[in-house]
Amino acid sequence: MKKLCLFVLWLNMALAGSAQTPSGNALLKGTVSDGSNRSKLAGATIKVAGTNNGTVADLNGQFALYTSPGNFSINVSFLGYRDTVITVSVKSGEVAVLTIPLSSSSSQLSGVVITGYLQGQASALNQQKNADNIKNVISSDQIGRFPDPNAAEALQRVPGVNIERDQGEGRYVLIRGLAPQFTNISVNGEQIPSPEADVRFVALDAIPSDQLASIEVSKTLLPDMDGDAIGGSVNLVTRTAQSRQSHISGSLAGGYNNLIKKPNMQGQLQFDKRFGAGEKLGIMLNGNYYHNHLGSDNWEQAPSDNEMELRDYELVRTRTGLSGTIDYKFNNRNEIYFRSLYSRFTDREWRRRYVFIPEDEEIEKLTKDRFESQTITSFNLGGKHNFNKFFFNYEGQYSEGEQDTPYDHEIGFIAGLPSSFGFPDAKYPVLDAPGFNDNSNYAFNAAGYGKTLAKDRNLTAKFEIGIPYKSGISNGLIKFGAKARFKKKSYRLTSDAFESSDGVPALDSFDEDPIKDKFLGDRFNMGRPLNVTSFNRFFNANPGLFELDVESKSIDEALEAYDANEDVYAAFAMARHQFKKLLLTGGLRYEKTNVKYDSKDVLIDAAGDLESILPVTGSSDYDFLLPQIQARYELSKYNNLRASVTYSYARPNFGEIIPAQEINREDNVANIGNAGLKPTAAFNLDLMAEHYFGNIGIASVGVFYKKLNDFIYRKILFNAPYPSTGTPIIESIDVIQAQNGNDARLTGVELAFQRKLDFLPSVFNKLSLYTNYTYTHSNAKLQSRGADQSKPDAIEELRLPGQANHVGNIALAYESGKLVVRLAANFNGEYLSEIGGEASEDLYVKSRMQLDMNASYAIDQRIRFFVEGLNLTRQPFETYLGNKNNINQREFYSWWARLGVKFDLRSAR
Amino acid sequence: MKFTQIIILSILLSAGWGCDKKNEDLIEPLTAESFPQVITFDDEGDGDLEDADEFSFKLTLNDRVDTSGEEPDGKIVPLTSDVTVLFEVTDWEGFSSIKEYIKDTRAFYEIDDCTTSEDQGINLNIVFDINTGKGSVRFPKNVTEVEVVFETDEDLLNDNLLNTEERAVSFAITGVQAAGNNVVYNKSAGFTYEVLDDEGISGDWELDHENTAAFTAFKNLFGLVNEDISTLDAGDVDKIEISIEYGEIKVIVELKETETITECGSMEEVNKVIELEAELEDLSELSDKGDIEFTGEVEQPSGSLKEFVYTGSFQVVSDNLELVLTGEYDDDETEEITLQLTK
Repeated sequence: MKKLCLFVLWLNMALAGSAQTPSGNALLKGTVSDGSNRSKLAGATIKVAGTNNGTVADLNGQFALYTSPGNFSINVSFLGYRDTVITVSVKSGEVAVLTIPLSSSSSQLSGVVITGYLQGQASALNQQKNADNIKNVISSDQIGRFPDPNAAEALQRVPGVNIERDQGEGRYVLIRGLAPQFTNISVNGEQIPSPEADVRFVALDAIPSDQLASIEVSKTLLPDMDGDAIGGSVNLVTRTAQSRQSHISGSLAGGYNNLIKKPNMQGQLQFDKRFGAGEKLGIMLNGNYYHNHLGSDNWEQAPSDNEMELRDYELVRTRTGLSGTIDYKFNNRNEIYFRSLYSRFTDREWRRRYVFIPEDEEIEKLTKDRFESQTITSFNLGGKHNFNKFFFNYEGQYSEGEQDTPYDHEIGFIAGLPSSFGFPDAKYPVLDAPGFNDNSNYAFNAAGYGKTLAKDRNLTAKFEIGIPYKSGISNGLIKFGAKARFKKKSYRLTSDAFESSDGVPALDSFDEDPIKDKFLGDRFNMGRPLNVTSFNRFFNANPGLFELDVESKSIDEALEAYDANEDVYAAFAMARHQFKKLLLTGGLRYEKTNVKYDSKDVLIDAAGDLESILPVTGSSDYDFLLPQIQARYELSKYNNLRASVTYSYARPNFGEIIPAQEINREDNVANIGNAGLKPTAAFNLDLMAEHYFGNIGIASVGVFYKKLNDFIYRKILFNAPYPSTGTPIIESIDVIQAQNGNDARLTGVELAFQRKLDFLPSVFNKLSLYTNYTYTHSNAKLQSRGADQSKPDAIEELRLPGQANHVGNIALAYESGKLVVRLAANFNGEYLSEIGGEASEDLYVKSRMQLDMNASYAIDQRIRFFVEGLNLTRQPFETYLGNKNNINQREFYSWWARLGVKFDLRSAR
Repeated sequence: MKFTQIIILSILLSAGWGCDKKNEDLIEPLTAESFPQVITFDDEGDGDLEDADEFSFKLTLNDRVDTSGEEPDGKIVPLTSDVTVLFEVTDWEGFSSIKEYIKDTRAFYEIDDCTTSEDQGINLNIVFDINTGKGSVRFPKNVTEVEVVFETDEDLLNDNLLNTEERAVSFAITGVQAAGNNVVYNKSAGFTYEVLDDEGISGDWELDHENTAAFTAFKNLFGLVNEDISTLDAGDVDKIEISIEYGEIKVIVELKETETITECGSMEEVNKVIELEAELEDLSELSDKGDIEFTGEVEQPSGSLKEFVYTGSFQVVSDNLELVLTGEYDDDETEEITLQLTK
């Protein structure tokens, strides 16, 4: 009811008085570009002089503005460029097409390609400045300023964003202290499915940053945006052909990983061109490839089990990206487009580990050889039609995410050897395990051969209709639309575990030369690793020595496999109205979700044996009414004040709601779904003040507040009985289950500053600074971990998982003519990763600062050589349990670097 | 457009180049579906008293996935055509030659609980050379288990001495002739038949239940894990026997009360029994005294199983056995209790 009142209030404000559709409309369409190099200037503002009627150029510098017919002037402005006034004459019902070249107000911008970076930054800041909501934009040029190979790492530079890494590379995005599931990921404005089996969020290391024209991070929602984004909404925008001149750009680079002592390489090629006299047909093709050898040295311990592991990782990762856009403009009013994106990430991993189990006087030596690919494909077909009194946009999207693991082999050997270990300095373990690296001590234990295939497919259709109106001298827009998305998600797996009673030779019959000389700085001799290929050859030649554990296979495959269908229906109505300097945008969005799933329940009898596997069908549905109001007040040309009140939510992951149960007695872990899980709902307040620098830069300060109801967190119940109700069949097992917390509050302050330091004395005036800092604080209420039958409602307060108090970036660059040198540091504060059975078992990811460097030298306007160095200070990934002195994992990656050349033949005219 | 075509081709080539290094240095293992049928011994060993006139081993197949889903924990999927299994004696102890102990062989499989292939005159082509110890048997299609029986000279090892050296005969499977079948055998599997010495602890021992002290001691010891034993009245008991067999121990209380059972179509009046079975974890064999430990499980009302363990020592003097045991079960423990038993 409160939400409905807000909406009605807004509509009254927006449509009060004399709001009317102009009796005779004219349409201005055009393109804003750089006067000297014709680069399109995204984010430029176009405003009819003397009125509040204006619009903003899109990513291609194009705009469409409904006006009254007649003779009038329009003002065009863009940060870093001189404001331009153009006189226009247009009759009722006609379309005037304008090509608007702007001149740089700075001599530094006239260098075109050499300073193309600045143009990208200017475009991003203009889009941010003129956006209806609070958002950050990173242009492709800006992405190129940092040594970030994938979309996740590009996003870590944005205020309020931190990332989760895998093997040192960014993977998941956390916005404003909220875990990845609170952020939705879109490509070209439409959500893409997650290739992973259990979750909705997308691992952004699958998407090469070279493939993108820009990345938009919306921190507040508009009614025409999907409402399932509490933290924010990330939109990855692919490129589009911009001019009739052929444009070819690309890069080629090779590099080196210091830990694994192996090379890496990457390349990118792009072509775009508009065809025909009227440039009606545009074609853009982009292809890129990234190949990287990497690895890590890791130790981790499980204090509750008194076990310690040494892990040696070796990986080969590739990223392949293909994207294409074809657009056709029938005339000045009607256009259609077809955008496609294909991203493929592959990861082959060899994991060689020892598990020291002093209590059993056993040491396990396990070797994994696993290949995984994540593929994201999306096709968007849509049209934009500007009729005389309204516009009509529509789009259909087919997108698919797939995670294919065609093989996941892990071979385990075991030795009956005593061992002991300690952590005197909490940095490295001290190990006493005589003979642990002698392979002749190890007898065969088990071979696990698995494969998995997760698929997620979205079929989406949507439309929106916008009706411009005029109220006095103010102009506005009423927009409404609807959308339907049909999701189909499935997961299949094969899990074969073979054992052998006798006859398999000791491990030394299958070993090979080590992949590297040193492990954890030469602290441990890891011995000769097992060659999985050699073992598999033996396995195939001697199948009679092995026996399949059929029961485990049946259980694992039944528990994890599922099919789910999720249908989402959404509708919105909104209005955008310019009151002199105040722009109000608001409306209401309704989203209804129906979920159906088929999975299997595995019944394990009281003796712990498999009793039966039963098919299960379930469903759930929920809906949300989401009022969204945004206000932007233009204090002056370079100063904005923003405020917003929005409602949003986050759907539970499929893996969390499907009531499958995975009981792994060997690992003593039970993962159990929770069919009763509710979506997390959020109320969001935002305030922001922005000051833009005329020479391209920004200083901003923002505060935000979020109240989350029914937040979902992953709870570990250590040593819990299973099942939790009734007579337990397992006395003690670690149960992991998603649960709804009571409510949570998140507040934060976001500061950003970036500009060229040209006000400094001449020695320093070629420096530029890019910095941002976000402080967040959260307080979540959940059932106390001390709760029992006598006090079941006991409440405990703690921070939200994923929320780091401090997140920031600082980058200092020297940009002089052809030379650019940049040193960039990214800081992720510590955050709670998993909630344990008690406070001392809460798993935290320790704070981490990564220092990267890149430098480039332009030979001419076409060719630039560059060098990049990442993780120069060799920062490890560290986690601890309960308090910072109780480190339980440290993973080291060393540094890696690239050297290459970029070329851009756009200037060859 | 020629230039455009070159660009498109370049992009596609780079994509193709980028696709998948997944098969580099990879040997794909056999999958559960492609995995061959594996013929192996049903058990690693068996044993019987020295006067036994035969022993046997069973050949069977490893469990496979039940594609019908009816038995998710797996089942033996019979062969689709006959194979011949080759086996041989790999070792023997306690006699000078194989032919001295083994006199003849036969083989059969169960058709149902009451009928064997022998009953129906089905020949499994068992061949066994008592000179070389090599043999073969047909493992027919649609059969899950074949039992190979060796008839022995029952007098050869039946002495009146406590033997301190092991007497045993071991077998291995040496091959299968599968002719197009995807069938292999477990090369490492072996079967050993052990001759148990009836001058030692092996065999059946009777407790004098009419001796109040002995009966009370028995109840105190095994009543810990069996409620029926703890409430037993000596007047209801016909016989109490402790049977020490190959790898297991059985405590059998035969009641005076009888019941009628039907087996293979014939009805029989038998005494009711209370039986407790446990696995022998430790036993000083080839000796008239030593340590003994056995464990078992008791089903709880919930259906779960709870383990019990008995540890102690034994001494055999002539036809008398003295067992000194302590039992542990469900946080309860008995005192050290002595049982006197006779052959």
